[in-house]
Amino acid sequence: MAMRDLVTGGAACAVPGSSSSSNPVAALASALIGSSSKTTQERLKELPTSIPTSSDRQYYPEAPTLPGSEFDQEHYLQPSAQGSDFLHGFRAADRGQFADVWDEIHHGQPPHLQGRASQSHLPKFEHAFHQVNSQLQPTLDGITPDDHKLSPRFFVKDLTWLSNHLFVVVPSFLSLGIEVHYESTNPSPSVTGPPQRVLSNFLHSFLDSSRGGIPFHPAPLPGLGLSEVDKQCIRDRTSIMARHMFADKSDEFTNAQVDALLCSLDIDNSVQAKGHIPGRFSELEDYWNESQGSRQAGHLPANGWVTEFDQHRAQQGDPELWALSFERQHGVNGWASEFEREQSQMAQLGQTRGANISDFAAMEQTRMLAHTLAQNNDPKFQNSKFLQFVSKMSRGELIIDDNQVKPSTSGDWAAEYQHEYNGGLSWADEFGHTKASANLALRWEFNHSLSHGPDRWVNEFSAEHKQPNLVEDQWVDEFSKLHIQDWADEFGHQVGEGAFGNESTDNWASAYDEYLNEQMATKQQSGGSRGVYVFSEMNPYVGHPNPLKEGQELFRKGLLSEAVLALEAEVIKNPDNAEGWRLLGIAHAENDDDQQAIASMMKAQEVDPTNLEVLLALGVSHTNELEQAAALKYLYSWLLHHPKYGTLAPRELSESLHYADVARLFDQAAQMSPEDADVHIVLGVLYNLSREYDKAISSFQTALKLRPNDYSLWNKLGATQANSIQSADAILAYQQALDLKPNYVRAWANMGISYANQGMYEESVRYYVRALAMNPKADNAWQYLRISLSCASRNDMFEACDSRNLDVLQKEFPL
Amino acid sequence: MPDSTPQLKSDTLMKQMKLHLSTDASKELTKKIGLVYQINIAPKKLGFDEVIYVVDLKKGEVTKGPYEGGKPDATFAFKDDDFVKVATGKMNPQIAFMRGAMKIKGSLSAAQKFTPDIFPKPSKM
Repeated sequence: MAMRDLVTGGAACAVPGSSSSSNPVAALASALIGSSSKTTQERLKELPTSIPTSSDRQYYPEAPTLPGSEFDQEHYLQPSAQGSDFLHGFRAADRGQFADVWDEIHHGQPPHLQGRASQSHLPKFEHAFHQVNSQLQPTLDGITPDDHKLSPRFFVKDLTWLSNHLFVVVPSFLSLGIEVHYESTNPSPSVTGPPQRVLSNFLHSFLDSSRGGIPFHPAPLPGLGLSEVDKQCIRDRTSIMARHMFADKSDEFTNAQVDALLCSLDIDNSVQAKGHIPGRFSELEDYWNESQGSRQAGHLPANGWVTEFDQHRAQQGDPELWALSFERQHGVNGWASEFEREQSQMAQLGQTRGANISDFAAMEQTRMLAHTLAQNNDPKFQNSKFLQFVSKMSRGELIIDDNQVKPSTSGDWAAEYQHEYNGGLSWADEFGHTKASANLALRWEFNHSLSHGPDRWVNEFSAEHKQPNLVEDQWVDEFSKLHIQDWADEFGHQVGEGAFGNESTDNWASAYDEYLNEQMATKQQSGGSRGVYVFSEMNPYVGHPNPLKEGQELFRKGLLSEAVLALEAEVIKNPDNAEGWRLLGIAHAENDDDQQAIASMMKAQEVDPTNLEVLLALGVSHTNELEQAAALKYLYSWLLHHPKYGTLAPRELSESLHYADVARLFDQAAQMSPEDADVHIVLGVLYNLSREYDKAISSFQTALKLRPNDYSLWNKLGATQANSIQSADAILAYQQALDLKPNYVRAWANMGISYANQGMYEESVRYYVRALAMNPKADNAWQYLRISLSCASRNDMFEACDSRNLDVLQKEFPL
Repeated sequence: MPDSTPQLKSDTLMKQMKLHLSTDASKELTKKIGLVYQINIAPKKLGFDEVIYVVDLKKGEVTKGPYEGGKPDATFAFKDDDFVKVATGKMNPQIAFMRGAMKIKGSLSAAQKFTPDIFPKPSKM
């Protein structure tokens, strides 16, 4: 259900018409940040040129005489109520800015009259605007120009914004430094501009035509007298903007639209048209929109900047002068400090939201997931690693990269960007300024964008942010690789069936934790596949002059783990030493590690295929591992290679072994020599295979009469008794074994099992811990310990158990 | 011979379970759980050549063959190796389920009570 939607980015996250919505993360990202074009779309949906596609569309009665002239009247209609608050915030931001400049355009008022002091138009606009969309009120309140300081960061941004949305004005004054738009009220324009009103409306109608998704039809226009530079700027702006507006359409459509417009304006699109890679540009747009959106509740300093910029523009008409005058007003370091302040804010934003859009999208998803998961108040679930993982992801503290979860390192794009440009400051000499590097970087950027057009900056910026796009895809890939989706499906399915009580969430959360642990554990043990001996990494006995002798000595003293190391050194030195391998196998078996025991015994058998002790040990170990067929094979080999009983075994039998045949042969052997303890031992093992525990017990007891000091025989008896659930007797047998060999890890572990099987869990824990203290590598004992802790309601010790913290466990459960 | 040719590792565990349920220690188990589980164990591939056991934690007995007293509270399907892993605590039942190593039919809340501690642990010679 919801969980699965969150994880997979289900239908709820998709945006109709958004680009590349096949990718769920991208779809989410578009939903969150790709709202800009939708905004205008809704704002202008009443346009005559658009095809009616939905019922809520309204039309203006009067037919325009010239395309775009309907814009002489202000009409903002209520946007449809769809969309999240987040998107509304966007609209507010967009509209506020738009309205500001719109006022200027349509009232033809010079900005220096309208500037900070003149608020007459803003309230008017606000009034109109409130009628339309009162929910945007809080945001709109921030528009009043007075409460904004000029913020250099938004300066650059607004160049971009302006250039996209108001390219009517921007191209001209950006490129020529002329005051074209206000010429009607400005008595002395320095350069003759084109009839801007006509151009403006025309371009707006182009904008609107896009909303209906219909081709833009060229319309005859009066001679505009556009200069080449104007044309170039319009062309550049148009192609950028078109790609932005038609993000959901094909490239062909976009190009056709642009061509139609440029044709009308008598601009040649083919010659000098600068190619803007759409992907790059939309990425930049997305980024800015996103960063704007995150400030939705704030003051919208951008609006203030628009006014202020226009004011300065009107006075100075030259970008460099503007900069200088700003410096005069605010002091040279004003910029720097303000820039830095903005940057540090941005850095904070960056850290909380993650470095870039892709992370942002990923985090947005995980944040929702975390939120959903956090609804569960169960403290255990709250503490689960899964939830922590998800919430860390959602906070951007972790990123998934290259199938590895990494802590997020640098979330500060601003610092990076600044750093990048701190190097290229040669312009500084040009202007003869010596300033703080932050200041320089900014000014460089500013001048750069003024002289080369913001699109250059756009390219640079998008080049910088090309990578995140890849990362985003990677993230999606990796995420699906982790099979979290499968997991989510199954989880969602289960939850959907409504079968879980409260306690079960516990189980599932901890199961997930265990799953993670287990996965890590399997990674660590990946080398330890069946039958392959795994050597210890650090072995102090390597280089020992006689490791076999040392190993035998250690084994005799009962220092099993040490003996294992010495014997490993021996078999590294002499891989063909069967005795080394055999004793190593026995040491492992006594250390309760059957996997390693089997691996060493198989090596011993390779070297010496007829060693009876080795064959018996292999039979026993495979029986312990419940591998009947293999066990039977080795026990039969024992008989086959026995000097006395070998004649009993028909050779042809070894091809297809049947338990009954083998058992019969051993019965014969036992009758042949009832005083041979070995035969009784093998018989006992054989009866264990067939689960005839009573017979097995009597075989071992017979053998023990012959060999009462064989500690491993006592353990065999105990284990058989335990497996036939005669636990009390088993414990007595184990006690005998431990009296003979106090460091017999297997017997200690078996004691634990017997207590556990009798329901004495607290007791069993003590024995498991004792066994583990002697051999921390005994994996079985760790697993049984956990079960016993759980049954003894000692969940408080799980952590110590999972982290294999023996100190804590030994202190808590002394024997 | 009570058992014909042994084929499954699980057979050993089931035999031990059967013995275990005849002891006093298991009385608490039947009191605590009181459910009937049917366990279908396949030697190699889930659903093929299944050996069916019924672990009746109401009456405290293990029988071979499908449950005859109606519908079991939950039915599990395992591969032989996976059942051994679950019963000996090497694999958590939930993880087995997530990995598709364990299929569940019937009541999930009943399945939730199917934990490794209901099985006796095999001792080693």
